[in-house]
Amino acid sequence: MKNGLTIFAGIFAIVAASWAGLLLTAHRQYGGLAQYVDALDGNAYPLPLSGLADQGRLVYEDLGCATCHTQQVRRADFGADLDRKWGERQSYARDYIREKTVHLGDSRLGPDLRNVAARGYVDGTFLYKLLYAPHSVAPGTNMPAYPFLFDVRRVNPGQASPLALPFTGRFAPPAGSEVVPTRRAVALAAYLLSLKDTYDYPVERAKNTPPAPEKKGEH
Amino acid sequence: MNAAPDHLSGVEQSGATDDSLQHVHEHLLHHKPEKPHGYSATPLLLLGLMCTVVFFGSIYLAHYSARFDPLAYNENAKPSSGKIEPPVVTPAMLGRRVYNNTCITCHQTNGQGLAGVYPPLAGSDWAQGSEERIIRIVLHGLNGPLTVSGKEISSAMAPLGTVLKDDQIANALTYVRQEWGNNAPEVKPETVARIRAETASRTQPWTAPELLKLGN
Amino acid sequence: MNSPAQPNRSEQMEIDASAKWPVLVLFGSAVVWLILGGALQLIAAIQLHTPSFLADCEWFTHGRVAPAAQNALVYGWGFNSALGFGLWLMARLSFASLRHGGWLIVAAKFWNLGVLLGVAGIMTGASTSFELLEMPRFVTLLLLGSYGLMGAWLVTTFTLRNTENTYASQWYLFGAVFSFPWLYTLAQVMLFTAPVRGTLQAVVDAWYVSGLYGLGFVPVALAAAYYFLPKILGRPVANYYLAPTAFWWLFFATAFTGGSRLIGGPVPAWLATTGAVANFFLIVPVVIIALNLFGTLRGAATGSVTVRFIRWSLFAFLAASLLNFALSLRGFAITAQFTLITALRDWLLLYGCFSTAMFGAAYFIVPRLTGHAWRSSALITAHLGATALGLLLITATLGWAGWEQGRMLNHAATSFTDITKALTPWFTAYSVGLMLLTIGHLAFFVNFFWSLGARCPVTGDATPAVFRAPPAMEVPSA
Repeated sequence: MKNGLTIFAGIFAIVAASWAGLLLTAHRQYGGLAQYVDALDGNAYPLPLSGLADQGRLVYEDLGCATCHTQQVRRADFGADLDRKWGERQSYARDYIREKTVHLGDSRLGPDLRNVAARGYVDGTFLYKLLYAPHSVAPGTNMPAYPFLFDVRRVNPGQASPLALPFTGRFAPPAGSEVVPTRRAVALAAYLLSLKDTYDYPVERAKNTPPAPEKKGEH
Repeated sequence: MNAAPDHLSGVEQSGATDDSLQHVHEHLLHHKPEKPHGYSATPLLLLGLMCTVVFFGSIYLAHYSARFDPLAYNENAKPSSGKIEPPVVTPAMLGRRVYNNTCITCHQTNGQGLAGVYPPLAGSDWAQGSEERIIRIVLHGLNGPLTVSGKEISSAMAPLGTVLKDDQIANALTYVRQEWGNNAPEVKPETVARIRAETASRTQPWTAPELLKLGN
Repeated sequence: MNSPAQPNRSEQMEIDASAKWPVLVLFGSAVVWLILGGALQLIAAIQLHTPSFLADCEWFTHGRVAPAAQNALVYGWGFNSALGFGLWLMARLSFASLRHGGWLIVAAKFWNLGVLLGVAGIMTGASTSFELLEMPRFVTLLLLGSYGLMGAWLVTTFTLRNTENTYASQWYLFGAVFSFPWLYTLAQVMLFTAPVRGTLQAVVDAWYVSGLYGLGFVPVALAAAYYFLPKILGRPVANYYLAPTAFWWLFFATAFTGGSRLIGGPVPAWLATTGAVANFFLIVPVVIIALNLFGTLRGAATGSVTVRFIRWSLFAFLAASLLNFALSLRGFAITAQFTLITALRDWLLLYGCFSTAMFGAAYFIVPRLTGHAWRSSALITAHLGATALGLLLITATLGWAGWEQGRMLNHAATSFTDITKALTPWFTAYSVGLMLLTIGHLAFFVNFFWSLGARCPVTGDATPAVFRAPPAMEVPSA
């Protein structure tokens, strides 16, 4: 311990070992995970993201959605993810290879979003309303509003925007105005609507079936 | 300048010089403190702790690492049951893909066609009838009119023989003959190949009377 | 020093004089970042119970403020204070003065410029959204370069040392200084330069985050504890012969804990299991460090502010280690994962363990650099009291509320509206806790700059520091 070199070499060896043992090994194991081609319908799953959805992914990052939302469904005996209908099955690594960047998240102040597009009530209009005035669709939520993703503008007579939000009552804009999502809002909604892992991969399903209930008292 | 008391005086006093601190600890590094009563259990207890930690850590790792399988997310997952059952692919399943890409525009998802324009396939006497006829229709097309399940149809079908391969035609026809409640035998790719060879010189679409002459 | 006729000279005065400006610049920047980051953190906390707070302003939307606060605290407050403390202690224990300190000041300025650009980048929408790597890519080289310069100084000082001996604090400082550039470079390369695919990105990030806290900040806090306890109490570290074992074991096990953050996630199960085992291995060094440091503290009656801060730091270290271990066990993680308890774990490491140790260090070091006592002992008391209260309040709040949150999340019939409603009082308590800490930070901020100002002739009435000549420590005899 008298020598700085000993400590330097030791620390270097430790970091290198953990890098090789964790990251490099994991990378070699499944860094090249490929799409799975379904023999029946000939599609390669997961289906690639559309260009607009890929731009929406950047909006998701820039607004820091991952601060409060996870994107991972845990398995049946691990929390109530499946009971909450956050997905039909747990998330697999293969689901994520369609996205350039992956944000699993580590806080569930809001619900999980991995399968948000698979929920019956979620469509573009729902997402726009949620983003513009969260209380209009989710009363009591502490999700912030994102008014800067929308233009509130005067309606040109006879030329109302087809995207204008159908608000009535207290969330409606002043008479003669309309709330129109900006390009960023459209992209973000497209990204969120791409989040749907409904295809089940036979390999993963077979490998992750829970075992028969263990006998008590055994290891 | 009174000697201020230590307590929150704004100056923290040292209790030892850096020099002596270095020196004493260098000494202590190599000399365990002598206990007045002779024996200290600390090193032994720590050694026990280390062994316990390594022992149980290894067992835990071996037990819950799912054999370091990269695709195992459940540490309790049983050893992979060996081979994954390959899905059973029938010609009809493959034919469905061809149908969905090629035929669906006119004959529709439900095989009902469009009344008066595109003939229905579901329950159709033609679709479930002689394979000789329908293979020819797909290869070279058909010029109406014709009667399908008692209904008059007056339309034409384009030739697909250059677009589709023999097995694709066979699979698609098998799918049509076994879907929507239809129940007719499979069409073999060899049959398609044979008919394609027999009718190689044909350039015009078929007509209903020509096909009906073929018999069964 | 401009008044050589001071009544009492502190020991190693020449070394302190050589370290004066670099360390004061680093400490000063750290304190400013502490206030800034604390304010951002408070805004983010208030938004949890009052979501409309600053929500219309895009820069201050919760998803940007929260990571901006975390980055400001980690890279602004954390790195500045750690490097300031580290450089001073390394010079002291090496009996070598810091040479060419001007370069250090330049490096510190570039570092702070990088952090400023990075935090501003997060708030203006250039965030990468990877935890603690959110800063836009254009600051990476700036940060690495200026860090490299400061790290090189620390290493050079050690190399030029005028003593045969090395001490535990030096090992820990070395460990921390060496590991960060590896972790940071590898994470940057694997996430941005040549990105890995899919959930491997989450693995890389988890590895980096746990490394940054466990191999960076915790060792610096331990270096402070290993130095200040014997130094101030005048008694050697108990069972010191065990310290090297703890050192190596701690670094080795911590390096493998990263996977435990991804427990239950879409990453291979063995990663989480390895992390759990590594956290289990950490029991050994934690026990040794507790034996060492609490053994030194035992029975010591002292009014020393530094020692009191260090004591809080040690309690937080124990609590964080325990929580880390618990969170890597599946039975506990089923409830606690993704809740405020996850946030508590990181907060205990960065604030509870690291920041309190740096407060303690600053109270010891600054008078030795300026030659003047702290201006206000009332402000010191306020800082200590606010920190203690805030620590307890926030730990209790996040712990309890997190557990409740986890139980409600696992009860599928409980809607998110109900969860939010149930958590709102706790969010408020969390804000109050952060306000308490902010009061402490402000006291520290005012006292720090007030004491610096004391060297100006205008306010030359500051009490010159009175350093009693310390006795020499003696080898405990049988």
